[in-house]
Amino acid sequence: MIRTKAVLAAAAVCAVAAVAACSSSAASPTSTDSGSGSGPVTLTYWSGFTGGDQATYVALVNMFNATHKDIKVDMTVQPWDSIAQKLPEAMASGAGPDIATPDYNPGTIRQYINNGLLAPIDQLLGSGANQVPASVLPPAVKQVFTVNGHLYAAPANWATLELYYNKTLFAKAGISSPPTTMTQLESDAVKLTVKSGSNVTQYGMAIADHDTIAMWPIFIWANGGDIVNAKGCSALDEPQTIQAVSTWANLINKDDISQVGLAGQDADNLFSAQKAAMEINGPWATGEYTPAHVNYGLAPVPTGAIGTPVTTASTVPMVLNAKSTHKAQALTFFAWWMSKPVQAYLAEHVGYPPSRNDMADYPGLNSNPWVAGFSAQSPYAKFYLGTVADFSNVDSNIFSPAIQAAERGANVASTLQSASAALNSALNCPS
Amino acid sequence: MPAKPAGLAPADRGSEPDVVRAAAPERKRAPTAAIRRHWRRWAPGYLFLLPSVAILLVFVAYPIVESLWMSLHNWSFFSSSHPFVGLGNYDTMLHDPRFWNALRNTAIYTAVVVPGQLAIGLALAVALQRNTLINKFFRSIYFFPVISALATMGIVWKFLLDPDIGIINHLLVSVGLPDIDFLQSTTWALPAVMTVGIWKSAGFSMVIFLAALQDIPQSIIEAALIDGAGPWQRFRRVILPLLRPSMLFAAVIATITSMQLFDQVYVMTSGGPLFHTDTLVTYLYEVGFQDFRSGYAAAISWVLFLLILALSMLQLRLFRFKEID
Repeated sequence: MIRTKAVLAAAAVCAVAAVAACSSSAASPTSTDSGSGSGPVTLTYWSGFTGGDQATYVALVNMFNATHKDIKVDMTVQPWDSIAQKLPEAMASGAGPDIATPDYNPGTIRQYINNGLLAPIDQLLGSGANQVPASVLPPAVKQVFTVNGHLYAAPANWATLELYYNKTLFAKAGISSPPTTMTQLESDAVKLTVKSGSNVTQYGMAIADHDTIAMWPIFIWANGGDIVNAKGCSALDEPQTIQAVSTWANLINKDDISQVGLAGQDADNLFSAQKAAMEINGPWATGEYTPAHVNYGLAPVPTGAIGTPVTTASTVPMVLNAKSTHKAQALTFFAWWMSKPVQAYLAEHVGYPPSRNDMADYPGLNSNPWVAGFSAQSPYAKFYLGTVADFSNVDSNIFSPAIQAAERGANVASTLQSASAALNSALNCPS
Repeated sequence: MPAKPAGLAPADRGSEPDVVRAAAPERKRAPTAAIRRHWRRWAPGYLFLLPSVAILLVFVAYPIVESLWMSLHNWSFFSSSHPFVGLGNYDTMLHDPRFWNALRNTAIYTAVVVPGQLAIGLALAVALQRNTLINKFFRSIYFFPVISALATMGIVWKFLLDPDIGIINHLLVSVGLPDIDFLQSTTWALPAVMTVGIWKSAGFSMVIFLAALQDIPQSIIEAALIDGAGPWQRFRRVILPLLRPSMLFAAVIATITSMQLFDQVYVMTSGGPLFHTDTLVTYLYEVGFQDFRSGYAAAISWVLFLLILALSMLQLRLFRFKEID
């Protein structure tokens, strides 16, 4: 009798454990779904905006849901690395969301496109009610999101880089205005580098070389060089590229204008702590430098040998799942996202310029002086490795190591030639 | 003496009905009473074990088998097809300079950190073996890094080693030495990571050796003392051999932990500068979760497993002892 009770007790414990293990425990960290029903079409949306701008994105989705009774967007916000690990498998198996932001790097969409996971969204462009005129998209956005003649993503945001400069440190060094040419930038960086013996107490500039929005490519582009040429092959061994990298590597290695091996956040921290007088960065940095009481100003990135401005573009792609059964509703959401009121709201609350280039005179947009400045750089912005599907490998294993080696005094020409061979191999180009 | 019951003597076996003897091999035998008793006795235990075994099968055994299967394929999260490549991933590894660099860094780390933490742990155990209040306090101090999260400690050390605000460089400059950007130096980055590794784990070895030292009979020490053995001789000839089993345990655990180094490298250096602190696990993480080459990452993990297995068996062989020791 006692043994029978023991067996029954054990079986009961097993049953409870099995039910607990099998019960659904998936909880979205942030979800805008207010409930499922048979009424409106529900669009599932995986978004990676977990930072200070998350509240703005959530508010916009709620706004869309309130104004569109037939469509409900259920947005789940999760970290970028979580999306990167889960999204490909989910889409491939047919369990993925209708729309998603796969990565903050726009080149990533090419891996998805190559595996047939994304649907083209050419119907987004046009003059109809739920469409966006093709001419309003920044040229760089259209280029990076167009593959084999088809548009595959809409921009969830848009940003360019400008030169942040510390007005107080400039005044101390006797420099009255920010540099307008690369030559001036080089000499100002040296002048603003302060040393105490062999220790650097103030860097002229914070230049990150890994885990960052691309700063180094700006020096290369401004000199007429490039990382990947128009044919999609390596441009690292071109003379203008080697010259630009040599100039700035020497400034870092010999004149100590910047620390070696800075990650993006490290560079931001140096400028924020007022231990660096200049930094090339995006609009998101204003949210860090203003509370840090840095007396900073913003100026366009100085012009180089090419004579025209050039800066880095940044955008996050919003893509449509090829297996989605709500493509029409997704395009409606994309068109609404690209509308002027929404872009103005985004610019006002996040500080990014609008993702369309026809809002220069939009009422209230220029109330934020930073937005106007970043927006003015849009025509000159280009993407770093924007058309390279294997972005992570090229950036982590080829370009960044080559730059770091140059910063540490390696022979720039031979370093870049080796990197060029490796890049051509990665891009399936002839050496 | 009672008489034997009739018909039960072994010699009577030949008188059993033929139909019974002929049918027995073909009819399925019913469970014997002993087996039924066994199941009645142990069934609750097996049922209680079932959930844990199921979890182990699903979350441990199955992923292990699946990873071996993946290592034989060109497996990517992006693609629904995974072509079989046999030992292709392992062949790629042989010609991958990043893999050999990561293996070298991992080997150097293990070769330095394991003896380092054992030696320091043993020294601390010998110094703190008496059960005084002050010794108990210091034992806690030295054990504290062991229970702290590796990633958290990595962040702390990253600040301590910072060239601008770190206290280490402040101390160096205060005694007239130049400051060093440890984590950005191709010379100093790996030694810095190894130092943190020894600092983190020495307390664990100390605790193992403390327990072993407490178990050494005092009479053996006294006998050695009577025989005229000095302190070093007592330690070298008496205490150390008796610590061998504990040393084996600590060495095996330390080796396994060192070969799997990830957290503190990921936090402190991300494998840099220029891959000088890249380890097998940080490399396979990059290959699997950033490059999405899951098959190749699985192959690296299996090579790591085989290396750890080989090292552990080598240590068991080297530390072998007989009871007469």
